[in-house]
Amino acid sequence: MTLVQRGRWVTVIALLLLGGVYVRALVFTPEERLQGLAQKIYYVHVPSSWSAMLAMGLLGLASILFLFLKDPRYDRFAAASAEVGTAFSLVMLTTGPLWAKPIWGTWWTWDARLTLTLMMFFMFVGYLVLRGAVTDPALRARYSAVLGICGLVLLPFIHLSVYLFRTLHPMPIVLKPSAPSAPPAMVITLLSSFAVFTLLYVGFVMQRYALGEASNDA
Amino acid sequence: MTPEQIPETGGYMVAAYIVAAVILLAYTVMLWRRGSAKTKS
Repeated sequence: MTLVQRGRWVTVIALLLLGGVYVRALVFTPEERLQGLAQKIYYVHVPSSWSAMLAMGLLGLASILFLFLKDPRYDRFAAASAEVGTAFSLVMLTTGPLWAKPIWGTWWTWDARLTLTLMMFFMFVGYLVLRGAVTDPALRARYSAVLGICGLVLLPFIHLSVYLFRTLHPMPIVLKPSAPSAPPAMVITLLSSFAVFTLLYVGFVMQRYALGEASNDA
Repeated sequence: MTPEQIPETGGYMVAAYIVAAVILLAYTVMLWRRGSAKTKS
């Protein structure tokens, strides 16, 4: 079985599991008292943010490894991770305003967390545009690796922005040193969704990496 | 607090779940088609 076929299987399994997460979130997870049903956007918004940040983190690490080892596989992986990260960022940036409107009364506000996540999206898009613009493969790999490392530097600021700046965005509920501040039923749904979005990331990257490999290009 | 006092925000939830599914499925189809085109060429 080729890599693209394995990637397709992983993606199909992840999508079926995503259906299960949808059912669990919408039917079997309790409704939050103050926000109503809009709070359930949490189960797609937070895991898609996680997958986008995972994509950016691995893109940055692959870029560092490429610059040190000059192995084109890292460059190919970085390109795959950037494209997949763009898709997850798009989910994050569309579900976020749909949650913000009923709770904050506005679709968007230029606070630190939101602005930094928008910058991450533009980093992904800029990375892909740069790759499309430079024709020489060696130069393209080197330039895009530098941009990938810039994206990696952005990640700690995104995670810590809710602590460092005054922001409307809620504090982490699970990814924090103390115990999760949500009922177990909600935490289980969220963790299941994290696992499924991570699997979906893996399936997408396998397919996208195989595409780059087949064309001997990223 | 009674169930009547919970805010009516279900429409936003439905929209978010549909948008997320559409984006992820569209990207899946796009990757699938690109993979098939590469296999044929």
